[in-house]
Amino acid sequence: MLIQINNVTKKYQNHTALSHINLDIPSGIIFGLLGPNGAGKTSLIRILTQITEADEGTIHLDGNLLNRTHVQAMGYLPEERGLYKKMQVADQLLYLAELKGIPNKEARQRLKYWVDKFEIKTWLGKKVEELSKGMQQKIQFIGTVLHEPKLIILDEPFSGFDPINAQILTEEILALKEKGATIIFSTHRMDSVELLCDKIALINLSEKVLDGAVPQLKEQYKKNQFEVQFEGQLNLNQDLFNLVTSEEKYGVQKISISTQTRISNREILNHLLQSNINLLSFKEELPSMEEIFIEAVKQKNNLHHAE
Amino acid sequence: MLNKTFLIAKREFLTRIKKKSFLIMTLVSPLLILLFYGLIFYFTVNKSIGEENKKIAIIDNAQLLKQDLENTKTISFHFELDQTEKLNDLLSESFGYYAVLKIEKNEAGEIIYQLLAKDQPSIGLVSTIEDKIEAKLKDEQLQQKGIDKALLSQINNTRVNIETKKLTDNGFEEGNAGLTTAIGFVGAILIYFFIFLYGVQVMRGVIEEKTNRIVEVIVSSVKPFELMMGKISGIALVGLTQFLIWVGLVAALSGPVSGLVMQLMDVNPSELSAMNQGAGAAGTENTSKFGSLLAGLSNLNIPLIVGLFTFYFIAGYLFYGALFAAIGSAVDNETDTQQFMFPVTMPLVFSFVLAQTIVIQDPNSTLSIWLSMIPFSSPIIMMVRLPFGIPPLQIFASMAFMIAGFVFTVWFAGRIYRIGILTYGKKPSYKEIFKWLFQKN
Repeated sequence: MLIQINNVTKKYQNHTALSHINLDIPSGIIFGLLGPNGAGKTSLIRILTQITEADEGTIHLDGNLLNRTHVQAMGYLPEERGLYKKMQVADQLLYLAELKGIPNKEARQRLKYWVDKFEIKTWLGKKVEELSKGMQQKIQFIGTVLHEPKLIILDEPFSGFDPINAQILTEEILALKEKGATIIFSTHRMDSVELLCDKIALINLSEKVLDGAVPQLKEQYKKNQFEVQFEGQLNLNQDLFNLVTSEEKYGVQKISISTQTRISNREILNHLLQSNINLLSFKEELPSMEEIFIEAVKQKNNLHHAE
Repeated sequence: MLNKTFLIAKREFLTRIKKKSFLIMTLVSPLLILLFYGLIFYFTVNKSIGEENKKIAIIDNAQLLKQDLENTKTISFHFELDQTEKLNDLLSESFGYYAVLKIEKNEAGEIIYQLLAKDQPSIGLVSTIEDKIEAKLKDEQLQQKGIDKALLSQINNTRVNIETKKLTDNGFEEGNAGLTTAIGFVGAILIYFFIFLYGVQVMRGVIEEKTNRIVEVIVSSVKPFELMMGKISGIALVGLTQFLIWVGLVAALSGPVSGLVMQLMDVNPSELSAMNQGAGAAGTENTSKFGSLLAGLSNLNIPLIVGLFTFYFIAGYLFYGALFAAIGSAVDNETDTQQFMFPVTMPLVFSFVLAQTIVIQDPNSTLSIWLSMIPFSSPIIMMVRLPFGIPPLQIFASMAFMIAGFVFTVWFAGRIYRIGILTYGKKPSYKEIFKWLFQKN
């Protein structure tokens, strides 16, 4: 499902939650919505899910203006998880699917798939309150996707998952993407999504700071910084390189260097190998998402000050 | 939209009906209520249980009572001689008197009555003694004037029993003030309790969904208004089911239970049937009352009463249920509800109290008519007024106001609800809630 968010603004009584957000989310990708707590991520999600309305701006899904019929095509996992505690697992899941317009019979059919997948047959008759936190999380995830939505919105999906279950969840998210669903993935833990997301947008203080594909952003924000490990004596060409950090352990030197100008890796290696060293490793230090975020916010602030 | 509201109502209904507490509440609470009212009834009828027998010494220095005063069920009178030094002893345990009544004539010839006791005697006791003495003195005077005892008791047995007839389309028809009052009152009590019990259930349900955090998932599938209406109507169905079960239980149990009550009251069933048989022939006071009771029942407009009861039962619940839902949405936990409960429950309690006092005394006064128009009070007040006859125009007006009323509260509650369910943290002030009304979605 292709999503076009156009100039969306949302104000609450005392503060602006979103200001003039523009975003294009292509169909069939995993899109990361990143930003610190309180940046406006949940506000944007609530507008998409039509829990609230934007004050200004428009949202189009596959070219159609967002409307009530889209509700059925969406699955939403809110940050604050919740289920009816006294309700049996099966009843609960069927109820959630029925609310999305899936007839009871069909919902039962679809439930079988997930029952096998997560091996939860023995849980079906239990009340939610009898399950552990991790089990409840799985049930809620099934509730989010049981009606086979074309757009799946996950707000902090990994919070509360142990590493093993987080791995299972990651696999399921990737499988859903394979089946053609568009997935919006919101989190404040920016590094957790680098591997999973195709594209991301960074939001801070109600404004979009930047967006794009993950490799391109890394390329754009890289500082031409390299990590080199070697044994021996290195004569660093001070005209070309800056030494950022250096340390030595058991005779192995580990240094971080940056280049003044953009030069190819081949050239860098040539320079390094002119010294009589035993080169152990060489790699470019790409910025983490968090570093990119901090850098982008800084640039944006400078821009504001300059204006 | 209706489809989703129906789904939500269905879930509310089924999960509540399946609970063990529903079964227990449905079966046990009527028994408790029966027991409760049964006990009150029993104690009222047999007043003597609440009072202990009291012995009262009379020192009649005025020679007024001629050493004779009839005992009552709970008081026995004994004449003692006046011995001033013995007065305290009379009240001691060896004599066992509760009080000493001293009757003396003063110098002006007036008679002075004094009741001396260890503690303050109750007003009831004092007036019983007064009545007894007054009756005895009156009888004596009448006898002195030459009226003999047999004639006197005949005169004393004079009874007046007024039949009430009200003007209807068919002319004057027989009514019965006692029965109509009872029927109206039962209707009012039922509506009052229904609104309270199930209104609070709506509120709790909303708070539960909010604290469970399920609400955000649900409102991503349905509109908050649909969720609210589904919840209110689902709980209404639970209440109606419970009510119907009770009606069934009452029908099934009324035989054995009334038998039990009569046994408790020491009424012999054969006496009652004798009374029944004698109803046709004008005889004792009891039978004529019973006869008019039955006649009154047949002249009540039962379909109208049942129809309007159903209307106000449901409309009143919707009116208040929506307000309770709004309260639930505005807070995070039940302890915070107190402040908001007050303005909602106050008119309900207020109209219930007025129904028992002002309205029942004069069901067609201006105040009663106005109270039966205002939707806050009309469900209860109309029930009380109904059996006495209300002009059709007033019925229609009251119903129209009621419908307008619950449309308004449902709208009002919906506006608060949609913002409230997603607002966590500090308890909102009235001012904030007022702002929610006009806040954009």
